Amino acid sequence: MRLELREVLIANVKWGERTEVCDGVLFVNRNEAISYVSDDPRFEYVDLDLARPGESVRIIPVKDVVEPRCKLEGRGEVFPGFIGGMETVGEGATLVLKGAAVVTCGPIVAFQEGLIDMSGPGAEYNPFSRTSNVVLVVKPKDGLEKHEYEEALRIAGLKLAYYLADKCRDAKPDRTKVYEKGSLDEENAKYPHLPKIVYFCMSITQGLLHDTYLYGADMKHIVPTLIHPNEKFDGAMVSGNCVSACDKNTTYHHQNDPIVEELYRRHGKELNFLGVIPTLEDTRLSGKERAAWFNAKLAKLLGADGAVISEEGYGNPDTDLCMNAKICEKSGIKTVIISDEAAGVDGKSQGLADATPEMDAFVSTGNVNEMVELPPMNKVIGYPEAIANLSGGAEESLREDGSMFVELQAIIGSTSELGFGRIGARWV
Amino acid sequence: MTREIEASADIPVVQIATIVPIMLTVGANRIVPGIAIPHPVGAPDKGDEVDKAIRREVLERALKAIQTEIKEQTIFNK
Repeated sequence: MRLELREVLIANVKWGERTEVCDGVLFVNRNEAISYVSDDPRFEYVDLDLARPGESVRIIPVKDVVEPRCKLEGRGEVFPGFIGGMETVGEGATLVLKGAAVVTCGPIVAFQEGLIDMSGPGAEYNPFSRTSNVVLVVKPKDGLEKHEYEEALRIAGLKLAYYLADKCRDAKPDRTKVYEKGSLDEENAKYPHLPKIVYFCMSITQGLLHDTYLYGADMKHIVPTLIHPNEKFDGAMVSGNCVSACDKNTTYHHQNDPIVEELYRRHGKELNFLGVIPTLEDTRLSGKERAAWFNAKLAKLLGADGAVISEEGYGNPDTDLCMNAKICEKSGIKTVIISDEAAGVDGKSQGLADATPEMDAFVSTGNVNEMVELPPMNKVIGYPEAIANLSGGAEESLREDGSMFVELQAIIGSTSELGFGRIGARWV
Repeated sequence: MTREIEASADIPVVQIATIVPIMLTVGANRIVPGIAIPHPVGAPDKGDEVDKAIRREVLERALKAIQTEIKEQTIFNK
């Protein structure tokens, strides 16, 4: 399976007469873009705003971030199950507006969302302060159920990301990345002596607006399955998660999964990358056990020597992490886990809620309870009062001058457990 | 909290919780497995009648657990 990511580099975003790319600037026809996503009867109104790196802008509360992409060649369309049909993706060529992002924002899913600062100390902690953002702010009709609102906003974000890329499909790519990997037989024959590595992508699948989608399927109703890594680049996994912001995998994270990138980079040199197993974090103990046993079984059937396991969220998913490590290790498959820690404001508490001796290789992506001071911004897109409802925030977190004193977990992607960030942790 | 109440007030505590491994890790002594994280003591998806029966059963099991002498961490299954 071969996929080309043809990247058009975006350094700025502006309103324009047409939606197009000129000399690294993404121009957006505001009215056309609004009308493209406004056809959902659940919306009272839809508005768009722009936020660029370095500006004194705070976006809050952020629900999802999506990278604009569309298929140029090959079967299917991006975000299968939502934008595209059910044909499997990951082959051919995909256009990427690299450096641009769609950010969805809205008042009804107020709890457990996060914020993006485009400048100042908060900007250092999140990757979306460095992208040129088209921010989608929608107000739902009165009385709309929260889960309906979440779905409408999720789909609107995907549509807007597709619209932006689709309108720019004639733009000349600045660079092309090729991702190619054959069947297990083919790769095993090419690299018979390299260790075989599989990647478990643990995803929050807990209902009550804590969900992840695979080809449009609500993952809490599936058993773990296998995908080709290229499918992630075409938007096979979509976030529907209204969860603590620091370590949720937005759709953008899935599209740009650094674990997939790194395993690909080492494929054929240090290891043989078998594939990705998107897996669950169930709300029942039996569900956690079923997922962990299925993961280990799939890894064994694939002939894996090792598994890289990333977590999403913290707390009860720490048990999934432990079970995945434990059952694999007992089956003779070596594991390494990637997780953040909830170690208290002084960093001295136990980092994970659960522990097991088999979990002895651990990459930490930071402490979610670290306190950060965020100065006021000149402009706020969204609803600043939402900070009281954010994980890591409290009513007193928002001061009269607009500054904030919050835990790192209020900042989107600050402790990404896919390693899509710049911080780590040290022993104290 | 479970451990602290037992240690400082000498009052036996039953922990009803869904994710039993975490309870074992943090050192809870009497553990009654719950149903699911969003609804540890019931099953609202099964309708009012079944939900109420499950709630009663879990509670009665917890009350029995609190009166049971134990020497080590104990899980009280159905």
